[in-house]
Amino acid sequence: MAEQNWAGTTYGNNWMHKWLIRLLRFIDTRILYLFVAIFIIPVCLILNPSRGIAYRFFRKRMGYGRLKSAWKTYVNHCLFGQVVVDKFAMYAGKKFKVEIEGYENFARLAAKKEGFVQLSAHIGNYEIAGYTLVCENKRINALVYAGEKESVMRNRDKMFADTNISMIAINPDMSHLFEIDKALEEGEIVSMPADRISGSPKFIEHDFLGAKARFPLGPFSVATIRSLDALAINVMKTSLTSYKIYVTPLPYDKTTSRQEQIKQLSGAYVAELEKRVRQYPTQWYNYFEFWNEND
Amino acid sequence: MEQLINDLKLQIKEALNLEELSLEDFDENAPLFGEEGIGLDSIDILEIIVLLEKNYGIRLANPKEGKAIFQSVKTIAEYVQANRKK
Repeated sequence: MAEQNWAGTTYGNNWMHKWLIRLLRFIDTRILYLFVAIFIIPVCLILNPSRGIAYRFFRKRMGYGRLKSAWKTYVNHCLFGQVVVDKFAMYAGKKFKVEIEGYENFARLAAKKEGFVQLSAHIGNYEIAGYTLVCENKRINALVYAGEKESVMRNRDKMFADTNISMIAINPDMSHLFEIDKALEEGEIVSMPADRISGSPKFIEHDFLGAKARFPLGPFSVATIRSLDALAINVMKTSLTSYKIYVTPLPYDKTTSRQEQIKQLSGAYVAELEKRVRQYPTQWYNYFEFWNEND
Repeated sequence: MEQLINDLKLQIKEALNLEELSLEDFDENAPLFGEEGIGLDSIDILEIIVLLEKNYGIRLANPKEGKAIFQSVKTIAEYVQANRKK
């Protein structure tokens, strides 16, 4: 099985985060982008194993040549840096231009009595969706890693204080499962990433970008257990100051067996993810061996 | 109680697709989680939560209760017997 080690937390300590937010209240994000691209990313590329992982992604999965892969690896890390800066810029009160494709899909499900599931991935900048795709009549419950830095959680709480968005932290005592189930049973929305295996080791395998990859069974199991509708939400950076949210319905036959439902739903999710990754290859931020090349 | 335990074993086996586990080998006292027992995990818990709701009208909303209830099929049966609504 491919190694899937990641910290599940934003890089840097609380002091650094506070400092960054203060700084972003006064300076243009583009100045910070430039600083990160010139001084931070080259150091990261030397010290961090993400360099090799990203390079192999561009070589093997996207089929680029050596030079192009090396350049795209640099661009990918710069974009990741920009996304992190943007997250803190939002905490500092900065706004981004956001375009939504497929909002009607979200509105249609939001108008229903039943809850639904939003499946995201570690591409682009999903957090932007939390500030944009809000629902008047349904609470949105976002699944987050319990180990996230206090400064990030505090700022998220502050940002979401006047909205009906709440966080469900993934806990080892399984309490999050009760919260997820309660939320869906009460007709709310549950939002979770579906591209990383976390907690339960159960997985479902799909062809993804030309090779077999393993996806967590949990999110698809949660959606199908109550035969709920599901949407893929991917938020991609389109320029220095703008983002585009793609809201795509993930159809599956709710009358067939659970196994088949999970297979169909996860298949639809993977197909949509592949489409977005091919469209925005430099915004793929899964810095671990996603594909087991030895399989 | 015996009947309830057997019903639960059958329902859990079906819901979790535990084809390799025969009802005879499904010990009601065996721990449901971990390598020493049946080897279920957090996703399976969610399936059992929904199963209890659908079949017995039990809503498990308190995570603190969960750990004690889901120790084994027998502890689930005891809880169902005391709290079932259908």
